[in-house]
Amino acid sequence: MCPFCGPRELREFHFHKTLPSAEASATAYQRVYERLGSIDTSVEHWQHTGGCRSWMLVRRNPSTGEVLGITQLTGGAR
Amino acid sequence: MTAPMPRYSALALLRARIAGNGYWRPNWTGRTLKDAYDVVVVGAGGHGLATAFHLARDHGLKRVAVLEKRLVGYGNVGRNTTIVRSNYLLPENHYFYEDSLRRYETLSKDLNYNVMYSPRGVVDLALSDDDIPGLARRGNALRLAGIDAELMDVAALERFVPELVPRRRRRFQIAGALVQRRGGTVRHDAVAWGYARAASALGVDIIEDCEVTGVRTAADVATGVETSRGYVRADRIVFATAGHTSMIGAMLGVPLPIETHLLQAMVSEPIKPLLNTVLVYVSPGYGETYICQSDRGGLVMGGHLDGFPSYTREGQWDRLEEVVQGAIELLPQIGGVKILRHWAGINDMTMDGSPIMDRLRYDNVFLNAGWCYGGFKAIPASGAAFAQFVATGTAPDLIRSYRLSRFATGHMLDEPGYGPFPVRL
Repeated sequence: MCPFCGPRELREFHFHKTLPSAEASATAYQRVYERLGSIDTSVEHWQHTGGCRSWMLVRRNPSTGEVLGITQLTGGAR
Repeated sequence: MTAPMPRYSALALLRARIAGNGYWRPNWTGRTLKDAYDVVVVGAGGHGLATAFHLARDHGLKRVAVLEKRLVGYGNVGRNTTIVRSNYLLPENHYFYEDSLRRYETLSKDLNYNVMYSPRGVVDLALSDDDIPGLARRGNALRLAGIDAELMDVAALERFVPELVPRRRRRFQIAGALVQRRGGTVRHDAVAWGYARAASALGVDIIEDCEVTGVRTAADVATGVETSRGYVRADRIVFATAGHTSMIGAMLGVPLPIETHLLQAMVSEPIKPLLNTVLVYVSPGYGETYICQSDRGGLVMGGHLDGFPSYTREGQWDRLEEVVQGAIELLPQIGGVKILRHWAGINDMTMDGSPIMDRLRYDNVFLNAGWCYGGFKAIPASGAAFAQFVATGTAPDLIRSYRLSRFATGHMLDEPGYGPFPVRL
């Protein structure tokens, strides 16, 4: 589901990375390498590469594959 | 306690023939969990069992337990595509995997258990002339290290793998290949069972259906693990939990440079012998497929990761389609063969594609993780080296580059070469 284009097939989207927890992103090492290993909630950056190419913040449950929330990322927002 | 299991030999077969099936004993016996151990290994997969085996055999530790949440070999050791090879580009990796391949060559004898090592040759295909320099570079690095590697042109390749001779013109021409003849396949379940049997014979307690839920600590030292069967004291704790390593990090409050991804594999219905090598091709723009034929006749195939973190063990259809497309592109003659089974394993992917073998937060907690998709072929070397690390407290040279701090200090072993991501963007 793209916030701009609506429902699309999974293969149009590209996963970029899992985000570390907010309090743990103090150093460059933490921002670049550390990942938040959670079995039930994962906050991720995805891009709609096969469509409008917009970036989005996706909250998912990696144990079930359920998508919990999608926010479109606009310039400046992190 | 039942009687000790007999050593497998021609004589044992003869005895069993006379004595009847009652002669055989279970390969490892159900032991009861004790209160305290010298070493508790968490995870009865290949790495955990191999570590326990070497701790007992090479370092004489008498009180070792392997705790397993599910069953012996339920995880990735039983879910891989059974390929073993050592043709890695980076020296740290190819020396390590070469050590592992050498141990695989003699593993059946060492464990007294037939692991069916089959050095049938691993063939890395070049799909265009542009792929050749990359393969040549890798081959040269291997030959400088004394590891066998052979760059083949199309004519030589078609002599080595006659099945690749096309009856019609290919859409994607094959331009050559890098071949490691000593690479091949090993029966994966037999590795888990063989290590479990050998470790059990040396007195290691293998406890199945026993989930570790927490680590108890005092000051700067871990004192034991909380399990679903109660508390167990341990002088040293080893974690070898593959796809669930992130959970271990969370348990100890240490975020790790690891994401958990799915990797699929599949096997076709059995067919007559067709392919006696392992074919691999990796093409960034097109996809990735590896294919070999099992002794039962099924074509075993796999490809790239699904592409996003998951613990579900349910693969995505488009990846399956890509793998099958690739296989048919290589071997059009298998187009009518049906897929029989299909499964996925959860892989602990590190941010440089190389493993982590280090202490974790406490001096007596050891982490063996981050094997990405190289875990199975690493088992014998990993077990021996990690057991030495755990027993002596000093990491042998072979695994010193796999320390956790390498990400912070900039000493990454970035084999795939696309930066701190498990999947290509």
